[in-house]
Amino acid sequence: MNGQARALIESMPNDIGTEAVGPLSFDEAFTLHHRAVFRTARAVVRDSALAEDVTQEVFLRLYRNLNATPGEDLLRAWLLRVTLNVARNTLRGQSRSMIRDNEYQKSTAETGFFVDAPEEDYERRLAIEEARRALDKIKEPMRSCLLLKQQGLSYREIATSLSLKETNIGSLVARGRKEFARVYGKIGGKR
Amino acid sequence: MTRCLDEARLQSYFDGELSIELMESVTSHLASCVTCAAAARELEEETALLTSALSAEFEASVPTERLRERIDAVVLGDRIEIAQSTQRSSGLSAFFNSILNFGTQRTLGYASLAVVLAFAAVMGIVRMKNGKEIASNGPEVQKPQPPQAIASTSPVVPSSTIQTQDQHDVVAPASVNGPSARPQRVRPNKVSTNPVPVPAPVKLLPGERSYLQAIARLDSTIKSGNKEMRPSLRAEYERNLAVVDRAIAATRSAAKSNPTDPDAADFMFAAYQSKVDLLNTIADARVSNSPRH
Repeated sequence: MNGQARALIESMPNDIGTEAVGPLSFDEAFTLHHRAVFRTARAVVRDSALAEDVTQEVFLRLYRNLNATPGEDLLRAWLLRVTLNVARNTLRGQSRSMIRDNEYQKSTAETGFFVDAPEEDYERRLAIEEARRALDKIKEPMRSCLLLKQQGLSYREIATSLSLKETNIGSLVARGRKEFARVYGKIGGKR
Repeated sequence: MTRCLDEARLQSYFDGELSIELMESVTSHLASCVTCAAAARELEEETALLTSALSAEFEASVPTERLRERIDAVVLGDRIEIAQSTQRSSGLSAFFNSILNFGTQRTLGYASLAVVLAFAAVMGIVRMKNGKEIASNGPEVQKPQPPQAIASTSPVVPSSTIQTQDQHDVVAPASVNGPSARPQRVRPNKVSTNPVPVPAPVKLLPGERSYLQAIARLDSTIKSGNKEMRPSLRAEYERNLAVVDRAIAATRSAAKSNPTDPDAADFMFAAYQSKVDLLNTIADARVSNSPRH
């Protein structure tokens, strides 16, 4: 986290002057929300390079719609709503050959990664895969509720992101959580 | 005593989504109701499980700098494009204005053109109606189409069988082009097991055999290499192998104790897949490393 914060601070003076391009709030929006956007995208598309594409598209849409976006309190919800849409479309639009290509790049990257990476990295990757597999078993919209809840979104934000009623979110989170615990438990006596 | 809490109320309580009065009433209810207190404990345990399970996903690093650069570049490009298109549209709008700003002479011209077009349309419709009556004995002519459609789809079938043959061929030699074929290699086995919902009493689960065979083959490929493995690579390999084997043992026992649960079988196959992937990685690493050392 510290490294990330430092990287963020270092990256700030190097901006290509987006302040001059649009309102300052675009930069603020990026600084505040790019992590949530990227992580949500990665959780859906399961690939860092694709998640970068999605993040880029989301912020481009923000830039083009700066005047039509909701106020600060619901900006994150708006961004994550766009993120989920773009990420799902990306998955849908992926042709088989492209997926194979990505898998290839990923696996070649992993070959190098694996040879000099410590054990924790391998375990971490396996842990990510296990959690994703369990999440896969949870039906929508409960799955998205969990993803957004785990990133600290309020019920109101979740309702906005997923076009649901705010009064239903508590029940959806509860059911999703139970289902996750049941399914994840099966992966190997984790409970 | 107040009414017992439903799951939504309890969840909202722990997520801090209730009003202060409701928070207080839930707190006091939890203090007095054993059932709800037990449900609350379960909720806390499950939430902790969820958080720890997803922590790896959410703690993985975010490429802030690269994202910043990409977005700056694309925003800049967008700006240039908008600037160009406004220039272009000013030219276009001038063109349209000149067309639409016509005098009375032109208006007459357009009106006569419209009359001619309307007449042509009416004639066309009348002719089509006549034509339909003539061709009313036509339906048999269309019949031969279905066989054609079948013929056009049939070439798809052989191509998919070629693919699976391909996959079988690639399994044994784990060569440099191994990774590209890996994602699809063992999947057909998994797919073939999916229709069978694992109803039989488990000894060797359906589909498990093919994974074990693939693993054995890869294992022998790795061992048959004429050179000794680099010690650091070997240590790495053995550590990671132990991790995967633990995962397989855990998922396998879960699958055995829930023989009718397709999820449990899925998880076990996924664990096997991880092992196959790991063995492939090792085999590839050996191939790519051996010329250098």
